Amino acid sequence: MTEELKTVATIDLKGLVCPIPIVKVSQAIKQVKVGEVIEAFATDPGVLGDIPAWCKTSGNELVKMERVDKVFRFVVRRLV
Amino acid sequence: MARGPSASEGSKMTTELATKELEKKYNKLVGTAASNMCAHCGWCMDSCHVYLANHDPEVTPVAKAERIRRVYKKNHDWLSKIFPFWTGAKKLTDEELQKWVELAYRDCTLCERCVVNCPMGVETPQLIAAARSALTSVGKAPEILTQLADMAISREENAEIYRDFFLEQIKEIEKQLQAHLGTTDASIPIDKEGARILYVPLSGAHTILPEAIIFNVARESWTLSMFEASNYGVFLGDTAKAKRIAERIINEAKRLKVKEVVLTECGHAYTTMRWEAPKWFGGPLPFRVRSILEVLDEYVRDGRLKFDPSKNSEPVTYHDSCNLGRKGGLLEEPRRVLRAIAQDFREMTPNRLQSLCCGGGAGLVAIAEWSEARIKAGKPKADQIRQTGAKIVVTSCDNCRHQITELNEHYNLGIKVTSLCELTVQALVLPDGAMASTNSK
Repeated sequence: MTEELKTVATIDLKGLVCPIPIVKVSQAIKQVKVGEVIEAFATDPGVLGDIPAWCKTSGNELVKMERVDKVFRFVVRRLV
Repeated sequence: MARGPSASEGSKMTTELATKELEKKYNKLVGTAASNMCAHCGWCMDSCHVYLANHDPEVTPVAKAERIRRVYKKNHDWLSKIFPFWTGAKKLTDEELQKWVELAYRDCTLCERCVVNCPMGVETPQLIAAARSALTSVGKAPEILTQLADMAISREENAEIYRDFFLEQIKEIEKQLQAHLGTTDASIPIDKEGARILYVPLSGAHTILPEAIIFNVARESWTLSMFEASNYGVFLGDTAKAKRIAERIINEAKRLKVKEVVLTECGHAYTTMRWEAPKWFGGPLPFRVRSILEVLDEYVRDGRLKFDPSKNSEPVTYHDSCNLGRKGGLLEEPRRVLRAIAQDFREMTPNRLQSLCCGGGAGLVAIAEWSEARIKAGKPKADQIRQTGAKIVVTSCDNCRHQITELNEHYNLGIKVTSLCELTVQALVLPDGAMASTNSK
């Protein structure tokens, strides 16, 4: 059912490396309301560990993480 | 019914807590910097890139130090205890604490250029670091730095979950390694007990793939750390968190019985593990700690790698990271490597101990809300780079790399920013035929 989630913002993190993807996701999540969902696209495999760790420590929900060709897609819901 | 603290009570509690933390940080170095040793001569002014970019007297090292010094004086200077109005000594207030946020986290990158130019040797960054600790203790540190520090701890606490992500990441990079070297023998060993080197990268592939290529070609006995080198606990002045983050790597190195821990091209990661960690853990660590710069330099001097410098024919300059150069003493190592791998290496002026900070250090590059001030503070570095006429800027610190990349975009420098390992790989002469790697998972 997560495919039907409406994302309210999309962030392009392609070509960026840590900590910048985290900085940008952290900024973007503050721009949406609690309960809303954003998606991010990244190319650096470092995000595979970083985004889930950030979601856990910041108290937000990692709804989905998938790979589309060489791009990683993350769907994050603001919880706090 | 229990009553919560009023606004004024809350404010008093905050300042008391922050003052207590300042006192905890009071040691010989901080005490000297907080004493009357500063002659207020102003020599530090032109050492500070923030002042050079802004020409605001409030951001000179002496002015920044004085704000913290007067709080310390209140408790430690006998004259200030009796006649605080004479010496300017003051108790910490909530308003002052708020001002410290920008002073400590935005207007000082702890680069220590003021220290090397101070005729009295006043260690202003020690005071700034103490202020950072005080701010962290009362929850006033920038949120993103706290999150990045907590992320590092979370990765270890949830190692089983993150291990899968990590292995997936490494599998991707290993495929690229094998494609680059043209052999499936090339590998990225993980958890290899008894390896000579435990290499600690950052979380990005850019600090894993070039080093993996180099280690495989050099036939090094190595293993890749599960953890990333960066330590945001240091930027926060939060020793407990910083220790916890460093301890992950120390435990891993002990478990794998490696001879040395080699840190990736990351300034604060190197100084933390090399100089701070032994202090935190009560003595020398049971393994050698080096930067990848030292290992590369060793390979060059031993003739272990062959290079074709014509592959790097464009003019190259080197930005000394404050942590690696001024604080870490790694000044000649990267230069020896650069002379071996590039045809036209040219220096920035000034360089080495007098190198200007890029403006993004000590965590500032991660604090998005201050990016305008950060780019402005990087103007002296941008000017310096432009004057070299270089087309490639090498820096061995990821903080610096992010900042110089942004300076390039903002000030139209027309450069490419890269790391020493990446540039090394570009000039690396690969052995003929398939490689027989000594590493096996």
